[in-house]
Amino acid sequence: MTTTPTSSLSGTRWGLKTKVILSMLLVGIIPLVVGLGMAFWQGSQEIREISGESFKALATEAARKLDLLVVEEISHTARIAHDPTIIRELERRRDASSDPKRSISALADLEQRWTERDPAALKSLTGNTLSALLHEYYAGVYSPPGQLLPQVVRASTKMLFLTDAQGALVATMTDHPAFRHQDTRWWQGAFNKAVGQLYIEDIRFDDQVNTYVFTISLPIMDSLRYETVGVLHHVIDAKEFFSPSTHAIRFGKTGHVMLIDTNGIVISCPILPTGVPLSDRNLTPLVTPQHPGWVEASSDGHGGQSTSVIGFAPLLETSRATNGSIDSGSWHTFVWQSSDELFAPIQHLLTWVMVFGAVAIVLLASLGYVAAGRIVTPVRQLQQAAQAIGRGELQTPIQINTGDELEDLAREFTRMNTQLKAAFAGLTDQVKLKTQEFQVLQQSTDQILDAVPTPIVLIDSHQIVRYINQTAREAFSVRETSSDTSLFSILSLDPGVQKQLQTEFQMNGGTSATMPDIERETAPRDPLQPRTDHEPAGHRSELPIGSRIYHYQWFRLPTKPGEEDSIGLVLRDITDESRLQDQLVQAEKTGSLGVLTAGIGHELNNPLFGIIGLGEILQDEQDLEHIKSYARDIVAHGRRMATIIRDFTGVTDREASDKPVSVPVEEVLDKALATAQATVDMNDVVIHKTYAGHTPVLVLPDQLRQAFVNLLTNAIHAMKGTGALTLTTVVSDHMVTTTIADSGPGISKQHLSKVFDPFFTTKEQGEGSGLGLTVARRIIRKFGGDIRIECVEDRGAACHVTLPINTSTPPLGDTWTTSASRSKPQPSHSS
Amino acid sequence: MDYFRFTFQAATVALLLGGFWTVAALHAAKESPTTIGISPQKVADYIHAILEADRTFYTSHIVNRLQEKGIVASTEQWEQDNTLPLPAQFLQHSGRLVAESGSGIRYRLIGFSPIYQRNAPATEFERKALDVLKRQPDRPVTGIVSSGKKQYFQAIYSDRAVSSACITCHNSHPLSPKQDFKLNDVMGGIAIIIPLE
Repeated sequence: MTTTPTSSLSGTRWGLKTKVILSMLLVGIIPLVVGLGMAFWQGSQEIREISGESFKALATEAARKLDLLVVEEISHTARIAHDPTIIRELERRRDASSDPKRSISALADLEQRWTERDPAALKSLTGNTLSALLHEYYAGVYSPPGQLLPQVVRASTKMLFLTDAQGALVATMTDHPAFRHQDTRWWQGAFNKAVGQLYIEDIRFDDQVNTYVFTISLPIMDSLRYETVGVLHHVIDAKEFFSPSTHAIRFGKTGHVMLIDTNGIVISCPILPTGVPLSDRNLTPLVTPQHPGWVEASSDGHGGQSTSVIGFAPLLETSRATNGSIDSGSWHTFVWQSSDELFAPIQHLLTWVMVFGAVAIVLLASLGYVAAGRIVTPVRQLQQAAQAIGRGELQTPIQINTGDELEDLAREFTRMNTQLKAAFAGLTDQVKLKTQEFQVLQQSTDQILDAVPTPIVLIDSHQIVRYINQTAREAFSVRETSSDTSLFSILSLDPGVQKQLQTEFQMNGGTSATMPDIERETAPRDPLQPRTDHEPAGHRSELPIGSRIYHYQWFRLPTKPGEEDSIGLVLRDITDESRLQDQLVQAEKTGSLGVLTAGIGHELNNPLFGIIGLGEILQDEQDLEHIKSYARDIVAHGRRMATIIRDFTGVTDREASDKPVSVPVEEVLDKALATAQATVDMNDVVIHKTYAGHTPVLVLPDQLRQAFVNLLTNAIHAMKGTGALTLTTVVSDHMVTTTIADSGPGISKQHLSKVFDPFFTTKEQGEGSGLGLTVARRIIRKFGGDIRIECVEDRGAACHVTLPINTSTPPLGDTWTTSASRSKPQPSHSS
Repeated sequence: MDYFRFTFQAATVALLLGGFWTVAALHAAKESPTTIGISPQKVADYIHAILEADRTFYTSHIVNRLQEKGIVASTEQWEQDNTLPLPAQFLQHSGRLVAESGSGIRYRLIGFSPIYQRNAPATEFERKALDVLKRQPDRPVTGIVSSGKKQYFQAIYSDRAVSSACITCHNSHPLSPKQDFKLNDVMGGIAIIIPLE
């Protein structure tokens, strides 16, 4: 074994080894990939969930913290709003404003001067008692011990000022505020129709302090808390106020908390500047509901377009007062971390798992290679062993020691090989034996064939002689048969006969081989019948070879499957037999002529002797009357003789025309019956007629009638004038069959075959000429029909006349009627 | 829930406006030089009767029924939770609406142990009145109070824990300074102020 089939077929299909390695790799890789994908998906999902929940918690916590910060600031501011000094002063101002004597012009004058930054006016508002009080509150003078204002909060205060119930500036820490505020939203919100309400104004850019601010506006109620007497307005720098709280909360590199309002405007963010809107407007409604939560958004609000997890929570307390009510605006915390950072752990995990996966695949491939080697090597050994067994070359047992099914298989192979060897050894002996038997059989067959005195030649489908027996060799002077001797080179035949034989051979002569019709050949031939239907000589199974004549017969000889059958040719020398046959026929013909001569002689002798006798009497007769009487007798005898001679020749009446005409066969039959009735006594005969109708046949009507008269006369004679005569016509398949059946004694078997022979008669000498049926058959055959006689002994005979139906021409009744009228009924003396 | 909110507001406004129409009519009658005046005490009594009736009706026939049927509860954060306001909030918020309507009359709930400090007594008069009402809850404490030059008639009526909702909330609220209220306890007072002008 130089090359293995696996290596030779590796180009077109995968070997077992490759398949094993691939299987192991697939078994390893598919779960790995699926597991990896699922782990990544699940991990991402969980990180998203966990982060979302964490962000939500953080946002809530940050919101609460910022809420507290704002509330604390409000409470700090509220402390000022509750100051009795301020309340008293504002009550006084309220009472003064309602005093009709109060000068409005003085207020307008002050406003004018404040707008123009008149130092005296500035001083009157920034340096009055209430302003001093505001400074003191701002400085933390009135704070409870240990609750000093944090520095950041204090620094974030950009403006702190008081207005009275008319919105006019009363006191301020700085000179930034405008003088009149009654038209501003914050003032109206906080004053709230003198009922008073906390108002936190949403983030906006303040030109005076040049920064983004939010404001806390508190109503100052009178001492009865009945009505608002003024508004305390606290303007706070949003970034400065919130940044210590929001910026401190950082996680990871990007994670942070920011504060936005309901419009998505950033109030405080470590990354985005205050006052800018979120980069994605669509994000705002997602993150500003009135409840905490988290969302997976398609952008991060910081300009990034990656999917982000965002936690959010509203500042509930602050939002309630923002822009007057929670419906007008709310503040929300927003917790976000970059997706890259958020999903970094899972991506690290993925990377590592992929690295480990790659290592695992390499390991799998190596292990697969080793394992495949271990599996495939014994399989290849087995394969080679199987091939060796196939060639019968395996001598040694297969050595596979894997300790598994393959070892068992190898053992089975070895055992199988041993058994096959044993079986083959027995088989060889049997073959030898059978060969000897075959040879003996062949020899004996050859000897038998050689011993047969008939030439036998076996040829194949190419006409090459395969065998020729001893007799044939001698007969055809064949000395040595070469392998390609043709049949026709052995047989010296005439070209015509040779062609005939070849045609028969090509038609698989073996099957068409026929035995010569001995019966027919040996039967005496009707000497009166012209040999029109005589078979040509070539159709006979006879071969004239040289001076001798052989009868031959093909036979088919079955051969081995896959080969064409041989064809055998058996030749029988019938030279002597044929000669004998001819002599026999000649003798029979001579015999027939004798019978004929005797019949004619006998028939003619009686009237002839009558004529001779009458003639002798006439020589001496003188009486004229007697002479005339004798002459009449002589004429009668002459006519009698003429009738006999006409019967012998079969020509009853020459037709006026030799042209056949179409007549109904039934009418011909009826006329024949009428003729028969005139000549034969049939008073005791019962006639049954069953006709098929008017069946036209193309015949010479008088001849056909003569044939029928002969048949009818025979039938009536057979019944000896007593019985039933049945006449039937049946139409079938272009033929009409006329049956004439009698109830007579029938015809014995020995006679049945001879009834058509001329001069054969069962009647007494002189009763019948033995020519009736012969003549009838000739007539019927002339018209393309046939006649046959069926007979059951003691039950009568049935004569069937078959004639072709004339389908081409219309019925020519008139023609026949004319013909019939011309013909005279003839007496019949049929046998 | 908006439906309830709307119903509640509409009912309150309707009832209060009805009440205040009476008061205004009485005022008009008093100001008329030909009619006999009516004392602020009487006006405060009438208003107190209306307030009590409204709140009782709201408590027993709206809040309690809806809560019992599990349709909607009343909670403090009613705006946020989309629930019904507590009976006390009903009174406080209606008081705010009355104040914002500009008719001049104001009323609110006050108490020594308020959940929110803004509902503590604001003046000395209110403090003393609550003291008196602790002892004598059956009669209102009335008096003339002033803010600057303005004078007002103020009447403070004792306010009892009329339903379990009152004490449940006050006894469980984290900001509540007193958490051992019992049903029918005097929890504070309803302060009604009528300007005298």
